[in-house]
Amino acid sequence: MKFLGLVLLLAPAVAQEQTVRKPDRVISIVAERFTFNPSKITVKQGELIEFVLTSDDTDHGFRIPSAGIEVAIPQSSKGEARVRFIAKEQGTFTFECSRPCGAGHNLMRGTITVKRGL
Amino acid sequence: MVKRVVYQCVLAGLLLQARAYGQGQNSTDLERRIAELEEKMRLVDPEFGRESRASNLARRLELLEKKMAEVLEARRPEVETRALPSPPTGAPPVLAVAQPVPPVQPAGPALLPVSVTGDYQGSPGGETRLPVAGYMDFHFNKDAGEPFRPDFHRFVLLFGHSFSDRIKFWSELEVEHALVEGGEESGEVALEQAYLDFLIKPAFNLRAGMMLTPVGIVNERHEPPSFNGVERPFVETVIIPTTWRELGFGFTGDLGRGFRYRTYLTSSLDASRFNAETGITGGRSAGFDASFRNPAKVARLEYAGVRRMTLGASVYSGHSGYNMPGVNPRVTMAELDGRYSFGRLDLRGLFANTWVSQAGELNWRLEQNTGVNPNVARQMRGYYFEPGIHVLPRRTRNDVILFTRYEKYNTQHRMPDGYAPLPQFNRSSWVAGVTYKPNADVAIKFDYVFNRNASAVVRAINGINLGIGWWF
Repeated sequence: MKFLGLVLLLAPAVAQEQTVRKPDRVISIVAERFTFNPSKITVKQGELIEFVLTSDDTDHGFRIPSAGIEVAIPQSSKGEARVRFIAKEQGTFTFECSRPCGAGHNLMRGTITVKRGL
Repeated sequence: MVKRVVYQCVLAGLLLQARAYGQGQNSTDLERRIAELEEKMRLVDPEFGRESRASNLARRLELLEKKMAEVLEARRPEVETRALPSPPTGAPPVLAVAQPVPPVQPAGPALLPVSVTGDYQGSPGGETRLPVAGYMDFHFNKDAGEPFRPDFHRFVLLFGHSFSDRIKFWSELEVEHALVEGGEESGEVALEQAYLDFLIKPAFNLRAGMMLTPVGIVNERHEPPSFNGVERPFVETVIIPTTWRELGFGFTGDLGRGFRYRTYLTSSLDASRFNAETGITGGRSAGFDASFRNPAKVARLEYAGVRRMTLGASVYSGHSGYNMPGVNPRVTMAELDGRYSFGRLDLRGLFANTWVSQAGELNWRLEQNTGVNPNVARQMRGYYFEPGIHVLPRRTRNDVILFTRYEKYNTQHRMPDGYAPLPQFNRSSWVAGVTYKPNADVAIKFDYVFNRNASAVVRAINGINLGIGWWF
């Protein structure tokens, strides 16, 4: 039982480590009216992915509806946003701009494709 | 229950092992213990270690750690709430601090969020986010020999709505020149866009309503901070008639590798309003008294696969004689454009050529109807090139862009048989100025315009422009 107690004590620290451990892949995405570059991203199932999101013009938003992720991307030269997630299951998932940015806002979208192997 | 205990044993063993490894334990003992852990891990996942047999101890340990991470992720909803407590409600915005994402759904999302961090919290600088977007343009224009004329040129509000993740609405309502009065030449209220997007697949979506014709750079991205110069380029005013919007429907999509397209069937231009000075610009229906008898076809292909570079090509073709019995000229336009930023240097350029078939018959018919021959050309051509340089370093919050633009635009480029071109409409302009952006969405602009034309009689007038434009 002491052993199990030790494990339970350490488990939260290990989970915390997920947020500080080095991601398997870091992908830079640049938002600009009315596109994300790159807009089609392929990752490997099980990887810890980090998106580094910057804008070349105004404020944009970044939303992955299927993951419940939504973050604001600061306007040009005002910093960046970072999103980490684990690609658990295979499939294709849409991301989109969540802040109205002009005439092409509705189509400012992209996809993340999760594959077993790359 | 047994599986759970095995998980926990593996986790504890790995943690202790990692610590021992870091302290330089005897390698033989270490190898034995790693082998034991691998065996234990195979109780959890029989496939573990079968694909690759690493001989290096560090690599084997790394594989174990990775597997452990996966096992932990499977249990994450339970542990994360303990690991990452939520910040207190109403706490002031903090920069670059990790925030836990909302608890995951019981079934577990396919993309498991871990964290979001960055310079994004709240509204930096006290800015308030409204549920609408918009842009405004306030100008002071002065032609040589004339006083400054203030003009609140555009007041535009944009509204959008998502009916679902797949059906989205977008609209743009504009008031020009501040005042609209019945029967007087003052401003105008115009619906610039109002359409629905039906998002089907990334490469294939349906759009229908009042849409911007996808030709050129400025027509679809005319927010004041997104271009240099107080007024829009002349070429994108008289050769490409911005803001060019028509009723219709079409398809849009992202083809991948940086390619995307838009292709529409739209209401056609009205040739009865073409003229020598502004070419086809007056023929825009803008959604009023439009005709779909001979819908126009327009398509645009863009490439944005290289960072800071966008290349575009557009083709437009449609008959325009619905208000002209007996003559039905076809308007065809081909356009190429590009934008590129290299370091602190911005470059943009555009070329457009327009063909009007039956231009001779059109001129004759209009002269019969109105008594005035409009001298519409059978070809119109324009191009411009604009370099701009950001004089402040990239990380500076303010931005100052010095730019110059050369434009050549001729609405009488090729005339129909029997018609001579009017040289005053063979024009060129140098626009030199500065754009100061205290914020990426606020642009204070100044420019001087040197206008020239090919006429020995009609003198082109230079001008000074000062403007403030903003987007929110």
